[in-house]
Amino acid sequence: MIPSALYFMFAPLLIVIVGLLAERMGSPKLRSGFAVLASVWAVASVWMLLGLVQASPDKILVVSLGGNPPLGACLEIDMMGIYVAFSAVLLGFFANVYSFSYMEHDTRLTEYYSLLSALVVGMTGVAFAGDLFTLFLFWETMGIASYALVAFRKENPGPIEAGFKYMVMGSVGSTVLFFGAALLYGMTGTLNFAQMSTVIRGQTGNPWFYLVIAVLIVGFGVKSAIVPMHTWLPDAHPEAPSTISAMLSGMLIETALYALTRVTYVLFEPQMFSLVVAVLSALTMCLANVTALMQKDIKRMLAYSSIAQIGYMLIGLSAGSMFGIRALLLHVFNHSLMKGLAFLSAGSLVHTADTRNIDELKGIGRAMPVTTLALFVALLGLGGVPGTGGFISKMFLFGSAIPAGYMWLTVLGVLNSAFSMGYYLMTMYKLISKPEKDLAGFHEAPLAMLGVTVVMAILVIWTGVLPATVIGMAEEGARALVENLATYVGVIMR
Amino acid sequence: MTQRNMIRILLGIEIILNAGNLLFVYFAATNPHLGVVDPIGQSIVFMSIVTGGAVVSVGLALIVNAYKQFKTTDAGELRRLKW
Repeated sequence: MIPSALYFMFAPLLIVIVGLLAERMGSPKLRSGFAVLASVWAVASVWMLLGLVQASPDKILVVSLGGNPPLGACLEIDMMGIYVAFSAVLLGFFANVYSFSYMEHDTRLTEYYSLLSALVVGMTGVAFAGDLFTLFLFWETMGIASYALVAFRKENPGPIEAGFKYMVMGSVGSTVLFFGAALLYGMTGTLNFAQMSTVIRGQTGNPWFYLVIAVLIVGFGVKSAIVPMHTWLPDAHPEAPSTISAMLSGMLIETALYALTRVTYVLFEPQMFSLVVAVLSALTMCLANVTALMQKDIKRMLAYSSIAQIGYMLIGLSAGSMFGIRALLLHVFNHSLMKGLAFLSAGSLVHTADTRNIDELKGIGRAMPVTTLALFVALLGLGGVPGTGGFISKMFLFGSAIPAGYMWLTVLGVLNSAFSMGYYLMTMYKLISKPEKDLAGFHEAPLAMLGVTVVMAILVIWTGVLPATVIGMAEEGARALVENLATYVGVIMR
Repeated sequence: MTQRNMIRILLGIEIILNAGNLLFVYFAATNPHLGVVDPIGQSIVFMSIVTGGAVVSVGLALIVNAYKQFKTTDAGELRRLKW
Protein backbone atom coordinates (compact mmCIF):
# COMPACT_ATOMS: atom_id res chain seq x y z
CA MET A 1 0.00 0.00 0.00
CA ILE A 2 1.26 3.46 -0.85
CA PRO A 3 1.12 5.94 2.06
CA SER A 4 -0.77 9.12 1.24
CA ALA A 5 2.34 11.17 2.07
CA LEU A 6 3.85 9.94 -1.19
CA TYR A 7 1.09 11.40 -3.36
CA PHE A 8 3.11 14.61 -3.77
CA MET A 9 5.04 12.74 -6.45
CA PHE A 10 2.12 13.36 -8.82
CA ALA A 11 2.46 17.14 -8.39
CA PRO A 12 4.14 17.72 -11.81
CA LEU A 13 1.06 16.34 -13.56
CA LEU A 14 -1.26 18.52 -11.47
CA ILE A 15 0.85 21.58 -12.24
CA VAL A 16 0.51 20.89 -15.97
CA ILE A 17 -3.30 20.71 -15.67
CA VAL A 18 -3.63 23.76 -13.42
CA GLY A 19 -1.12 25.68 -15.55
CA LEU A 20 -3.05 25.01 -18.75
CA LEU A 21 -6.31 26.03 -17.08
CA ALA A 22 -4.69 29.21 -15.76
CA GLU A 23 -3.40 30.04 -19.22
CA ARG A 24 -6.90 29.59 -20.60
CA MET A 25 -8.31 31.84 -17.89
CA GLY A 26 -5.53 34.38 -18.40
CA SER A 27 -4.31 34.47 -14.80
CA PRO A 28 -0.60 33.57 -14.64
CA LYS A 29 -0.45 34.35 -10.90
CA LEU A 30 -2.68 31.32 -10.24
CA ARG A 31 -0.13 29.06 -11.93
CA SER A 32 2.86 30.38 -9.96
CA GLY A 33 0.80 30.31 -6.80
CA PHE A 34 -0.17 26.69 -7.36
CA ALA A 35 3.48 25.75 -8.04
CA VAL A 36 4.51 27.29 -4.71
CA LEU A 37 1.61 25.49 -3.03
CA ALA A 38 2.73 22.18 -4.55
CA SER A 39 6.25 22.71 -3.23
CA VAL A 40 4.85 23.41 0.25
CA TRP A 41 2.89 20.18 -0.13
CA ALA A 42 6.13 18.33 -0.93
CA VAL A 43 7.87 19.74 2.17
CA ALA A 44 4.89 18.80 4.35
CA SER A 45 4.75 15.30 2.84
CA VAL A 46 8.42 14.61 3.53
CA TRP A 47 7.88 15.87 7.06
CA MET A 48 4.97 13.42 7.44
CA LEU A 49 7.11 10.63 6.03
CA LEU A 50 9.74 11.46 8.65
CA GLY A 51 7.06 10.90 11.29
CA LEU A 52 6.03 7.60 9.69
CA VAL A 53 9.63 6.37 9.48
CA GLN A 54 10.35 7.26 13.07
CA ALA A 55 7.18 5.51 14.19
CA SER A 56 7.98 2.26 12.36
CA PRO A 57 9.86 -0.37 14.40
CA ASP A 58 13.15 -0.46 12.47
CA LYS A 59 13.01 3.18 11.36
CA ILE A 60 12.62 1.89 7.80
CA LEU A 61 9.48 2.16 5.72
CA VAL A 62 9.19 -0.27 2.82
CA VAL A 63 6.68 0.66 0.12
CA SER A 64 6.19 -2.16 -2.38
CA LEU A 65 5.05 -1.13 -5.83
CA GLY A 66 3.43 -4.02 -7.67
CA GLY A 67 4.51 -7.09 -5.76
CA ASN A 68 6.88 -7.84 -2.92
CA PRO A 69 10.59 -7.19 -3.34
CA PRO A 70 11.90 -10.27 -5.15
CA LEU A 71 9.55 -9.58 -8.05
CA GLY A 72 8.24 -6.04 -7.64
CA ALA A 73 9.95 -2.69 -7.31
CA CYS A 74 10.04 -1.01 -3.93
CA LEU A 75 10.84 2.22 -2.16
CA GLU A 76 12.86 1.68 1.00
CA ILE A 77 12.70 4.88 2.99
CA ASP A 78 15.17 5.23 5.85
CA MET A 79 16.49 8.22 7.77
CA MET A 80 19.26 8.88 5.25
CA GLY A 81 16.79 8.98 2.37
CA ILE A 82 14.48 11.28 4.31
CA TYR A 83 17.39 13.57 5.10
CA VAL A 84 18.44 13.97 1.45
CA ALA A 85 14.83 14.24 0.26
CA PHE A 86 14.14 16.94 2.83
CA SER A 87 17.11 18.98 1.63
CA ALA A 88 15.79 18.61 -1.94
CA VAL A 89 12.20 19.66 -1.25
CA LEU A 90 13.33 22.57 0.94
CA LEU A 91 15.54 23.93 -1.83
CA GLY A 92 12.71 23.25 -4.30
CA PHE A 93 10.40 25.37 -2.19
CA PHE A 94 12.88 28.27 -2.14
CA ALA A 95 13.43 27.98 -5.90
CA ASN A 96 9.67 28.06 -6.55
CA VAL A 97 9.10 31.14 -4.43
CA TYR A 98 12.06 32.86 -6.07
CA SER A 99 10.75 32.02 -9.56
CA PHE A 100 7.58 33.92 -8.70
CA SER A 101 9.37 37.20 -9.47
CA TYR A 102 12.43 35.99 -11.30
CA MET A 103 10.67 34.20 -14.16
CA GLU A 104 7.75 36.58 -14.57
CA HIS A 105 8.98 37.96 -17.92
CA ASP A 106 9.56 34.51 -19.44
CA THR A 107 7.03 32.61 -21.49
CA ARG A 108 6.17 28.87 -21.30
CA LEU A 109 5.98 28.96 -17.53
CA THR A 110 3.63 25.96 -17.32
CA GLU A 111 6.42 23.80 -18.70
CA TYR A 112 8.92 25.49 -16.43
CA TYR A 113 7.04 24.84 -13.20
CA SER A 114 6.10 21.27 -14.04
CA LEU A 115 9.68 20.43 -15.03
CA LEU A 116 11.00 22.03 -11.85
CA SER A 117 8.55 19.97 -9.85
CA ALA A 118 9.54 16.83 -11.79
CA LEU A 119 13.17 17.57 -10.96
CA VAL A 120 12.38 17.70 -7.24
CA VAL A 121 10.26 14.54 -7.43
CA GLY A 122 13.08 12.77 -9.27
CA MET A 123 15.51 13.70 -6.51
CA THR A 124 13.24 12.51 -3.72
CA GLY A 125 12.62 9.30 -5.68
CA VAL A 126 16.36 8.65 -5.99
CA ALA A 127 16.67 9.26 -2.26
CA PHE A 128 13.88 6.80 -1.44
CA ALA A 129 14.66 4.07 -3.98
CA GLY A 130 15.07 0.56 -2.61
CA ASP A 131 16.30 -1.11 -5.78
CA LEU A 132 18.23 -0.22 -8.91
CA PHE A 133 15.08 -0.41 -11.03
CA THR A 134 13.32 2.39 -9.12
CA LEU A 135 16.55 4.31 -8.79
CA PHE A 136 17.15 4.20 -12.53
CA LEU A 137 13.64 5.43 -13.36
CA PHE A 138 13.76 8.37 -10.96
CA TRP A 139 17.31 9.05 -12.09
CA GLU A 140 16.08 9.46 -15.65
CA THR A 141 13.13 11.60 -14.50
CA MET A 142 15.57 13.90 -12.76
CA GLY A 143 17.94 13.85 -15.73
CA ILE A 144 15.40 14.56 -18.46
CA ALA A 145 13.80 17.37 -16.47
CA SER A 146 17.19 18.97 -15.92
CA TYR A 147 18.27 18.68 -19.58
CA ALA A 148 15.15 20.53 -20.65
CA LEU A 149 15.50 23.13 -17.90
CA VAL A 150 19.15 23.95 -18.66
CA ALA A 151 18.16 24.76 -22.25
CA PHE A 152 14.99 26.57 -21.13
CA ARG A 153 15.85 29.98 -22.60
CA LYS A 154 16.08 28.54 -26.07
CA GLU A 155 16.14 31.89 -27.85
CA ASN A 156 19.84 32.31 -26.90
CA PRO A 157 22.66 30.18 -28.31
CA GLY A 158 24.39 29.64 -24.95
CA PRO A 159 21.69 27.57 -23.19
CA ILE A 160 21.17 25.38 -26.27
CA GLU A 161 24.85 24.59 -26.52
CA ALA A 162 25.20 23.95 -22.79
CA GLY A 163 22.01 21.90 -22.78
CA PHE A 164 23.17 19.72 -25.65
CA LYS A 165 26.53 19.11 -24.03
CA TYR A 166 24.87 18.27 -20.73
CA MET A 167 22.32 16.03 -22.44
CA VAL A 168 25.00 14.02 -24.26
CA MET A 169 27.22 13.62 -21.20
CA GLY A 170 24.33 12.99 -18.83
CA SER A 171 22.68 10.35 -20.95
CA VAL A 172 25.98 8.57 -21.63
CA GLY A 173 26.43 8.54 -17.84
CA SER A 174 22.96 7.04 -17.39
CA THR A 175 23.61 4.36 -19.98
CA VAL A 176 26.89 3.45 -18.28
CA LEU A 177 24.95 3.24 -15.02
CA PHE A 178 22.35 1.05 -16.72
CA PHE A 179 25.13 -1.20 -17.99
CA GLY A 180 26.49 -1.44 -14.46
CA ALA A 181 23.02 -2.37 -13.21
CA ALA A 182 22.91 -5.12 -15.85
CA LEU A 183 26.28 -6.48 -14.68
CA LEU A 184 25.13 -6.48 -11.05
CA TYR A 185 21.91 -8.17 -12.09
CA GLY A 186 23.90 -10.83 -13.90
CA MET A 187 26.05 -11.49 -10.84
CA THR A 188 23.26 -11.61 -8.29
CA GLY A 189 20.05 -12.35 -10.18
CA THR A 190 18.16 -9.48 -8.56
CA LEU A 191 18.04 -5.70 -8.55
CA ASN A 192 17.04 -5.14 -4.93
CA PHE A 193 19.79 -3.50 -2.86
CA ALA A 194 19.20 -5.69 0.16
CA GLN A 195 19.20 -8.95 -1.79
CA MET A 196 22.24 -7.95 -3.83
CA SER A 197 23.96 -7.04 -0.59
CA THR A 198 23.41 -10.50 0.91
CA VAL A 199 24.89 -12.12 -2.19
CA ILE A 200 28.01 -10.01 -2.72
CA ARG A 201 28.86 -7.89 0.32
CA GLY A 202 31.81 -9.24 2.26
CA GLN A 203 33.41 -11.00 -0.69
CA THR A 204 36.65 -9.48 -1.91
CA GLY A 205 39.14 -10.22 -4.62
CA ASN A 206 36.69 -10.92 -7.43
CA PRO A 207 37.94 -8.78 -10.34
CA TRP A 208 34.37 -8.31 -11.60
CA PHE A 209 33.56 -6.32 -8.46
CA TYR A 210 36.24 -3.78 -9.29
CA LEU A 211 34.82 -3.46 -12.80
CA VAL A 212 31.36 -2.83 -11.33
CA ILE A 213 32.72 -0.24 -8.88
CA ALA A 214 34.45 1.56 -11.74
CA VAL A 215 31.28 1.51 -13.85
CA LEU A 216 29.19 2.80 -10.92
CA ILE A 217 31.66 5.61 -10.17
CA VAL A 218 31.60 6.68 -13.82
CA GLY A 219 27.80 6.35 -14.10
CA PHE A 220 27.00 8.31 -10.95
CA GLY A 221 30.10 10.48 -11.28
CA VAL A 222 28.95 12.16 -14.49
CA LYS A 223 25.92 13.69 -12.74
CA SER A 224 27.82 14.47 -9.57
CA ALA A 225 30.67 16.12 -11.55
CA ILE A 226 33.64 14.19 -10.17
CA VAL A 227 36.66 15.55 -11.96
CA PRO A 228 37.34 13.65 -15.14
CA MET A 229 33.57 13.73 -15.86
CA HIS A 230 32.87 17.31 -14.77
CA THR A 231 33.11 19.25 -18.05
CA TRP A 232 29.34 19.69 -18.52
CA LEU A 233 28.84 21.47 -15.22
CA PRO A 234 30.66 24.80 -15.74
CA ASP A 235 28.74 25.22 -19.01
CA ALA A 236 25.30 24.14 -17.84
CA HIS A 237 25.17 26.06 -14.56
CA PRO A 238 25.83 29.61 -15.83
CA GLU A 239 23.58 29.24 -18.87
CA ALA A 240 20.55 27.87 -17.00
CA PRO A 241 18.12 30.28 -15.27
CA SER A 242 19.45 31.07 -11.77
CA THR A 243 16.79 29.05 -9.97
CA ILE A 244 17.79 26.01 -12.01
CA SER A 245 21.48 26.64 -11.35
CA ALA A 246 20.60 26.68 -7.67
CA MET A 247 18.70 23.39 -7.95
CA LEU A 248 21.37 21.68 -10.07
CA SER A 249 24.27 22.87 -8.01
CA GLY A 250 22.57 22.78 -4.65
CA MET A 251 20.92 19.42 -4.88
CA LEU A 252 21.24 17.46 -8.16
CA ILE A 253 24.95 16.77 -7.89
CA GLU A 254 24.51 15.87 -4.22
CA THR A 255 21.66 13.51 -5.03
CA ALA A 256 23.97 11.77 -7.46
CA LEU A 257 26.64 11.59 -4.77
CA TYR A 258 24.06 10.21 -2.34
CA ALA A 259 23.14 7.50 -4.85
CA LEU A 260 26.82 6.62 -5.29
CA THR A 261 27.27 6.45 -1.53
CA ARG A 262 24.17 4.33 -1.03
CA VAL A 263 24.90 1.80 -3.78
CA THR A 264 28.62 1.37 -3.16
CA TYR A 265 28.14 1.22 0.60
CA VAL A 266 25.33 -1.29 0.61
CA LEU A 267 26.98 -3.56 -1.95
CA PHE A 268 30.69 -3.42 -1.14
CA GLU A 269 33.03 -3.14 1.82
CA PRO A 270 34.35 0.45 2.11
CA GLN A 271 38.01 -0.55 1.75
CA MET A 272 37.32 -1.76 -1.80
CA PHE A 273 36.63 1.73 -3.14
CA SER A 274 38.10 3.99 -0.46
CA LEU A 275 41.48 4.72 -2.08
CA VAL A 276 40.02 5.39 -5.54
CA VAL A 277 37.52 7.83 -4.06
CA ALA A 278 40.26 9.55 -2.04
CA VAL A 279 42.37 10.10 -5.17
CA LEU A 280 39.32 11.36 -7.12
CA SER A 281 38.47 13.67 -4.24
CA ALA A 282 41.97 15.20 -4.23
CA LEU A 283 41.89 15.66 -8.01
CA THR A 284 38.41 17.18 -7.91
CA MET A 285 39.09 19.82 -5.31
CA CYS A 286 42.53 20.86 -6.57
CA LEU A 287 41.57 21.20 -10.22
CA ALA A 288 38.24 22.91 -9.55
CA ASN A 289 39.70 25.47 -7.14
CA VAL A 290 42.52 26.43 -9.48
CA THR A 291 40.13 26.83 -12.41
CA ALA A 292 37.61 28.80 -10.34
CA LEU A 293 40.27 31.41 -9.63
CA MET A 294 40.57 32.15 -13.36
CA GLN A 295 36.87 32.84 -13.98
CA LYS A 296 35.50 36.24 -14.89
CA ASP A 297 31.86 35.10 -14.95
CA ILE A 298 30.32 35.11 -11.46
CA LYS A 299 28.01 32.12 -12.04
CA ARG A 300 30.79 30.15 -13.71
CA MET A 301 33.00 30.77 -10.70
CA LEU A 302 30.23 29.47 -8.43
CA ALA A 303 29.87 26.42 -10.70
CA TYR A 304 33.56 25.55 -10.32
CA SER A 305 33.22 26.10 -6.60
CA SER A 306 30.44 23.45 -6.61
CA ILE A 307 32.84 20.96 -8.15
CA ALA A 308 35.34 21.76 -5.40
CA GLN A 309 32.65 21.17 -2.77
CA ILE A 310 31.91 17.78 -4.32
CA GLY A 311 35.61 17.06 -3.83
CA TYR A 312 35.28 17.87 -0.12
CA MET A 313 32.20 15.64 0.18
CA LEU A 314 34.06 12.73 -1.42
CA ILE A 315 36.46 12.85 1.55
CA GLY A 316 33.54 11.74 3.71
CA LEU A 317 32.80 8.80 1.42
CA SER A 318 36.45 7.74 1.23
CA ALA A 319 36.75 7.76 5.03
CA GLY A 320 34.32 4.84 5.00
CA SER A 321 33.18 5.34 8.58
CA MET A 322 30.02 6.60 10.23
CA PHE A 323 31.89 9.79 11.05
CA GLY A 324 32.64 10.33 7.37
CA ILE A 325 29.09 9.66 6.18
CA ARG A 326 27.72 11.96 8.86
CA ALA A 327 30.01 14.74 7.68
CA LEU A 328 29.02 14.07 4.07
CA LEU A 329 25.30 14.33 4.90
CA LEU A 330 25.85 17.46 6.95
CA HIS A 331 27.70 19.07 4.08
CA VAL A 332 24.97 18.03 1.62
CA PHE A 333 22.39 19.98 3.63
CA ASN A 334 24.64 22.96 4.29
CA HIS A 335 25.85 23.09 0.72
CA SER A 336 22.30 22.95 -0.63
CA LEU A 337 21.49 26.04 1.43
CA MET A 338 24.76 27.90 0.82
CA LYS A 339 25.13 27.23 -2.88
CA GLY A 340 21.41 27.70 -3.43
CA LEU A 341 21.69 31.06 -1.69
CA ALA A 342 24.82 31.99 -3.63
CA PHE A 343 23.21 31.25 -6.98
CA LEU A 344 19.91 32.91 -6.10
CA SER A 345 21.46 36.14 -4.79
CA ALA A 346 23.99 36.23 -7.65
CA GLY A 347 20.95 35.67 -9.88
CA SER A 348 19.31 38.79 -8.44
CA LEU A 349 22.45 40.83 -9.18
CA VAL A 350 22.70 39.43 -12.70
CA HIS A 351 18.97 39.95 -13.26
CA THR A 352 19.30 43.63 -12.36
CA ALA A 353 22.63 44.41 -14.01
CA ASP A 354 22.14 42.14 -17.04
CA THR A 355 25.76 40.99 -17.06
CA ARG A 356 27.57 38.06 -15.46
CA ASN A 357 31.05 39.55 -15.68
CA ILE A 358 32.44 40.23 -12.19
CA ASP A 359 34.35 43.30 -13.38
CA GLU A 360 31.21 44.86 -14.82
CA LEU A 361 29.30 44.11 -11.61
CA LYS A 362 31.82 46.23 -9.70
CA GLY A 363 30.20 48.38 -7.04
CA ILE A 364 26.72 46.95 -7.47
CA GLY A 365 26.73 46.11 -3.76
CA ARG A 366 26.19 49.79 -3.04
CA ALA A 367 22.92 49.77 -4.98
CA MET A 368 21.63 46.41 -3.71
CA PRO A 369 22.97 46.09 -0.15
CA VAL A 370 20.66 43.35 1.19
CA THR A 371 21.14 40.95 -1.72
CA THR A 372 24.89 41.51 -1.62
CA LEU A 373 24.95 40.87 2.11
CA ALA A 374 23.13 37.56 1.52
CA LEU A 375 25.69 36.67 -1.15
CA PHE A 376 28.47 37.47 1.33
CA VAL A 377 26.97 35.10 3.89
CA ALA A 378 26.82 32.36 1.25
CA LEU A 379 30.40 32.92 0.07
CA LEU A 380 31.76 33.03 3.61
CA GLY A 381 29.87 29.82 4.33
CA LEU A 382 31.30 28.15 1.23
CA GLY A 383 34.77 29.23 2.30
CA GLY A 384 34.19 27.70 5.73
CA VAL A 385 34.27 30.76 8.00
CA PRO A 386 33.25 29.98 11.62
CA GLY A 387 29.71 31.07 12.41
CA THR A 388 28.26 29.63 9.22
CA GLY A 389 27.11 26.08 8.49
CA GLY A 390 30.01 25.57 6.13
CA PHE A 391 32.57 25.68 8.94
CA ILE A 392 30.91 22.91 10.97
CA SER A 393 30.51 20.50 8.07
CA LYS A 394 33.98 21.17 6.66
CA MET A 395 35.52 20.59 10.06
CA PHE A 396 33.74 17.24 10.30
CA LEU A 397 34.70 16.30 6.73
CA PHE A 398 38.38 17.07 7.12
CA GLY A 399 38.40 15.48 10.55
CA SER A 400 36.87 12.27 9.26
CA ALA A 401 39.83 11.56 6.95
CA ILE A 402 42.32 11.31 9.86
CA PRO A 403 41.02 8.10 11.50
CA ALA A 404 40.80 6.53 8.04
CA GLY A 405 44.54 7.09 7.56
CA TYR A 406 44.31 9.73 4.85
CA MET A 407 46.23 12.48 6.64
CA TRP A 408 47.38 13.90 3.29
CA LEU A 409 43.74 14.31 2.25
CA THR A 410 42.98 16.38 5.37
CA VAL A 411 45.96 18.63 4.72
CA LEU A 412 44.99 19.01 1.07
CA GLY A 413 41.39 19.79 2.03
CA VAL A 414 42.37 22.52 4.49
CA LEU A 415 44.80 24.05 2.00
CA ASN A 416 42.17 24.00 -0.73
CA SER A 417 39.61 25.54 1.55
CA ALA A 418 41.99 28.38 2.36
CA PHE A 419 42.87 28.74 -1.30
CA SER A 420 39.19 28.99 -2.26
CA MET A 421 38.79 32.03 0.02
CA GLY A 422 41.01 33.77 -2.55
CA TYR A 423 38.35 33.98 -5.20
CA TYR A 424 35.45 34.41 -2.78
CA LEU A 425 37.13 37.41 -1.16
CA MET A 426 38.11 38.86 -4.52
CA THR A 427 34.49 38.68 -5.67
CA MET A 428 33.27 40.27 -2.46
CA TYR A 429 35.84 43.02 -2.74
CA LYS A 430 34.83 43.84 -6.29
CA LEU A 431 31.12 43.89 -5.47
CA ILE A 432 31.51 46.62 -2.85
CA SER A 433 34.39 48.60 -4.35
CA LYS A 434 33.91 52.01 -5.96
CA PRO A 435 31.51 51.76 -8.92
CA GLU A 436 32.86 52.69 -12.34
CA LYS A 437 29.54 53.60 -13.88
CA ASP A 438 26.35 55.25 -12.79
CA LEU A 439 24.18 53.04 -10.56
CA ALA A 440 21.11 55.26 -10.66
CA GLY A 441 18.94 52.72 -12.49
CA PHE A 442 19.67 49.82 -10.11
CA HIS A 443 17.27 49.04 -7.29
CA GLU A 444 16.94 46.28 -4.73
CA ALA A 445 15.45 43.02 -6.05
CA PRO A 446 11.65 42.41 -5.86
CA LEU A 447 10.20 41.24 -2.56
CA ALA A 448 9.86 37.51 -3.33
CA MET A 449 13.48 37.26 -4.46
CA LEU A 450 14.75 39.37 -1.58
CA GLY A 451 12.71 37.44 0.99
CA VAL A 452 14.04 34.07 -0.16
CA THR A 453 17.66 35.19 -0.04
CA VAL A 454 17.27 36.74 3.41
CA VAL A 455 15.54 33.64 4.84
CA MET A 456 18.23 31.38 3.39
CA ALA A 457 21.00 33.59 4.75
CA ILE A 458 19.43 33.35 8.20
CA LEU A 459 19.27 29.56 7.84
CA VAL A 460 22.95 29.39 6.85
CA ILE A 461 23.92 31.34 9.97
CA TRP A 462 21.50 29.31 12.09
CA THR A 463 23.12 26.01 11.02
CA GLY A 464 26.47 27.52 11.93
CA VAL A 465 25.58 28.90 15.34
CA LEU A 466 23.16 26.24 16.56
CA PRO A 467 24.11 23.16 14.54
CA ALA A 468 22.84 20.53 17.01
CA THR A 469 19.53 19.79 15.24
CA VAL A 470 21.07 19.28 11.82
CA ILE A 471 23.97 17.25 13.22
CA GLY A 472 21.47 15.05 15.03
CA MET A 473 19.53 14.44 11.82
CA ALA A 474 22.72 13.74 9.87
CA GLU A 475 23.89 11.36 12.55
CA GLU A 476 20.64 9.39 12.39
CA GLY A 477 20.99 9.24 8.61
CA ALA A 478 24.57 8.02 8.79
CA ARG A 479 23.68 5.45 11.44
CA ALA A 480 20.92 4.11 9.18
CA LEU A 481 23.47 3.49 6.44
CA VAL A 482 26.56 2.32 8.34
CA GLU A 483 25.63 0.75 11.66
CA ASN A 484 22.15 -0.45 10.83
CA LEU A 485 23.02 -1.92 7.46
CA ALA A 486 21.98 -5.35 8.73
CA THR A 487 18.54 -3.96 9.56
CA TYR A 488 18.30 -2.35 6.14
CA VAL A 489 18.96 -5.73 4.56
CA GLY A 490 16.92 -7.69 7.09
CA VAL A 491 13.71 -5.72 6.55
CA ILE A 492 13.58 -6.90 2.94
CA MET A 493 14.85 -10.43 3.49
CA ARG A 494 12.32 -11.56 6.07
CA MET B 1 30.51 8.79 -30.14
CA THR B 2 33.37 10.18 -32.21
CA GLN B 3 30.99 11.56 -34.81
CA ARG B 4 30.61 15.28 -35.35
CA ASN B 5 27.00 15.19 -36.49
CA MET B 6 24.66 15.77 -33.55
CA ILE B 7 22.08 13.24 -34.74
CA ARG B 8 24.75 10.57 -35.05
CA ILE B 9 25.92 11.31 -31.50
CA LEU B 10 22.34 10.73 -30.34
CA LEU B 11 22.18 7.45 -32.28
CA GLY B 12 25.45 6.42 -30.62
CA ILE B 13 23.91 6.96 -27.19
CA GLU B 14 20.95 4.78 -28.16
CA ILE B 15 23.30 2.01 -29.28
CA ILE B 16 25.11 2.05 -25.92
CA LEU B 17 21.73 1.88 -24.20
CA ASN B 18 20.80 -1.12 -26.32
CA ALA B 19 23.95 -2.89 -25.16
CA GLY B 20 22.64 -2.61 -21.62
CA ASN B 21 19.18 -3.73 -22.73
CA LEU B 22 20.55 -6.83 -24.44
CA LEU B 23 22.63 -7.69 -21.39
CA PHE B 24 19.51 -7.47 -19.24
CA VAL B 25 17.50 -9.67 -21.61
CA TYR B 26 20.27 -12.26 -21.62
CA PHE B 27 20.65 -12.32 -17.84
CA ALA B 28 16.88 -12.43 -17.35
CA ALA B 29 16.64 -15.50 -19.58
CA THR B 30 19.48 -17.34 -17.83
CA ASN B 31 18.81 -16.30 -14.23
CA PRO B 32 20.02 -19.25 -12.11
CA HIS B 33 17.90 -18.31 -9.08
CA LEU B 34 14.57 -18.74 -10.83
CA GLY B 35 13.47 -21.56 -13.07
CA VAL B 36 11.63 -19.24 -15.42
CA VAL B 37 12.51 -16.08 -17.30
CA ASP B 38 12.81 -13.33 -14.69
CA PRO B 39 10.04 -10.71 -15.13
CA ILE B 40 11.94 -7.86 -13.45
CA GLY B 41 14.82 -8.19 -15.88
CA GLN B 42 12.40 -7.86 -18.76
CA SER B 43 10.36 -5.04 -17.30
CA ILE B 44 13.45 -2.88 -16.71
CA VAL B 45 14.24 -3.29 -20.41
CA PHE B 46 10.80 -1.95 -21.32
CA MET B 47 11.21 0.96 -18.94
CA SER B 48 14.67 1.75 -20.25
CA ILE B 49 13.32 1.79 -23.81
CA VAL B 50 10.69 4.29 -22.66
CA THR B 51 13.20 6.54 -20.87
CA GLY B 52 15.57 6.19 -23.82
CA GLY B 53 12.78 7.45 -26.06
CA ALA B 54 12.21 10.40 -23.75
CA VAL B 55 15.92 11.27 -23.76
CA VAL B 56 16.02 11.08 -27.55
CA SER B 57 13.00 13.34 -27.88
CA VAL B 58 14.61 15.96 -25.62
CA GLY B 59 17.82 15.57 -27.59
CA LEU B 60 16.09 16.00 -30.93
CA ALA B 61 14.29 19.08 -29.66
CA LEU B 62 17.67 20.51 -28.65
CA ILE B 63 19.10 19.66 -32.07
CA VAL B 64 16.21 21.43 -33.83
CA ASN B 65 16.81 24.52 -31.70
CA ALA B 66 20.56 24.30 -32.26
CA TYR B 67 19.95 24.14 -36.00
CA LYS B 68 17.77 27.24 -35.80
CA GLN B 69 20.52 29.08 -33.90
CA PHE B 70 23.66 27.92 -35.68
CA LYS B 71 22.32 26.71 -39.07
CA THR B 72 24.29 23.47 -38.73
CA THR B 73 24.11 20.11 -36.94
CA ASP B 74 27.87 19.86 -36.66
CA ALA B 75 28.74 19.51 -32.97
CA GLY B 76 32.23 20.87 -33.69
CA GLU B 77 30.67 24.27 -34.39
CA LEU B 78 29.36 24.48 -30.84
CA ARG B 79 32.55 25.76 -29.31
CA ARG B 80 31.60 29.09 -27.80
CA LEU B 81 31.84 27.68 -24.29
CA LYS B 82 35.34 26.71 -23.24
CA TRP B 83 36.82 26.59 -19.73
